[in-house]
Amino acid sequence: MADHSRDPCPIVILSDFGGAFAMGTVGGSVWHGIKGFRNSPLGERRTGALSAIKARAPVVGGNFGAWGGLFSTFDCMVKGVRRKEDPWNGIIAGFFTGGALAVRGGMKATRNGAITCACLLAVFEGVGIVFSRMMAAQQQPVAPQLPDAPLSA
Amino acid sequence: MSWLFGGNSKKEQQPEQKPEVQEQAFSFDSTSAQDVSSFLSTPMDTSRLHPLAGLNDTLEYLNIDDEALTDLQGAQGLIPSRGWTDDLCYGSGGAYLTGLGLGGSYGFIEGIKAIPSGAPTKIRINTVLNHITKRGPFLGNSAGVLALGYNLVNSLIGYQRGKHDAANSVAAGAITGALFKATKGTKPMFIASGLMASAAGAWSLIKELL
Repeated sequence: MADHSRDPCPIVILSDFGGAFAMGTVGGSVWHGIKGFRNSPLGERRTGALSAIKARAPVVGGNFGAWGGLFSTFDCMVKGVRRKEDPWNGIIAGFFTGGALAVRGGMKATRNGAITCACLLAVFEGVGIVFSRMMAAQQQPVAPQLPDAPLSA
Repeated sequence: MSWLFGGNSKKEQQPEQKPEVQEQAFSFDSTSAQDVSSFLSTPMDTSRLHPLAGLNDTLEYLNIDDEALTDLQGAQGLIPSRGWTDDLCYGSGGAYLTGLGLGGSYGFIEGIKAIPSGAPTKIRINTVLNHITKRGPFLGNSAGVLALGYNLVNSLIGYQRGKHDAANSVAAGAITGALFKATKGTKPMFIASGLMASAAGAWSLIKELL
């Protein structure tokens, strides 16, 4: 069955980008809030946490967003080229994303980033498949109990 | 969000829709039958007795609740929205990309001007790229955070009031702008608040015109 909860392809990039950005910003706020709190001297803990959040949470959000947006873009491109919907889409998109993010580090960094990201996405897809199998096994259709004697008319 | 703010009274206004009782008409109509032989002669189609008769296994069940568009008054924007999560994602995504593009173009121009004379190609490219990555993400991050806060506040106000309109947008913009510069003192706070409120007002005007 097709996934109806996601929007069609070109526009979903925007949604993925924003979702990843929001997730990164919220998560970065929590992370850098705790980190800034712990790394500040006593008496300045609240201000330290606040300034750490202000300085770093948007950056984390931006990094998350860049990753999510690039991944979604490549995912749509791969879908457009392959005209198929399977786990390889994510792996190929992850390969390109990892490569694109590391492209300023030179050829070697690009290659390593691409391979690492593809492996990561392969693990994600594998875990997803395993989970959907487990869910499907739990929700097997059960045959209804048939009455012994046919209903007499 | 009812887990956080308690139930809302607007749900009581919508009466529960009861499924209409549909009478199933089979091939036998008792009013038209004059005697026994008249309805025994009509061929009986047993498949019509089953409620799912005529539907084979190509039947696909859709979970309508998850993908129903929002029915809040005034919430129909440029992109069809299923609720506040959609608004949030599209809003911050669009704002971030706009900020990134604007900042990136500014950095690009700045980088072109800053190229040292007589430098090799690699240095030239790196100068421009460094300027782009300095300006673009900074503006994008700020715009994204502002849009994030704006959409959260706007959805919250819209949820509490039960409708979306320009006043909601302006109020949400003012609150977001004030929060954004809350640590810089009173005056920058008011300036940012006014700027964001007017930006939100302009945005709702543009949305109206489109």
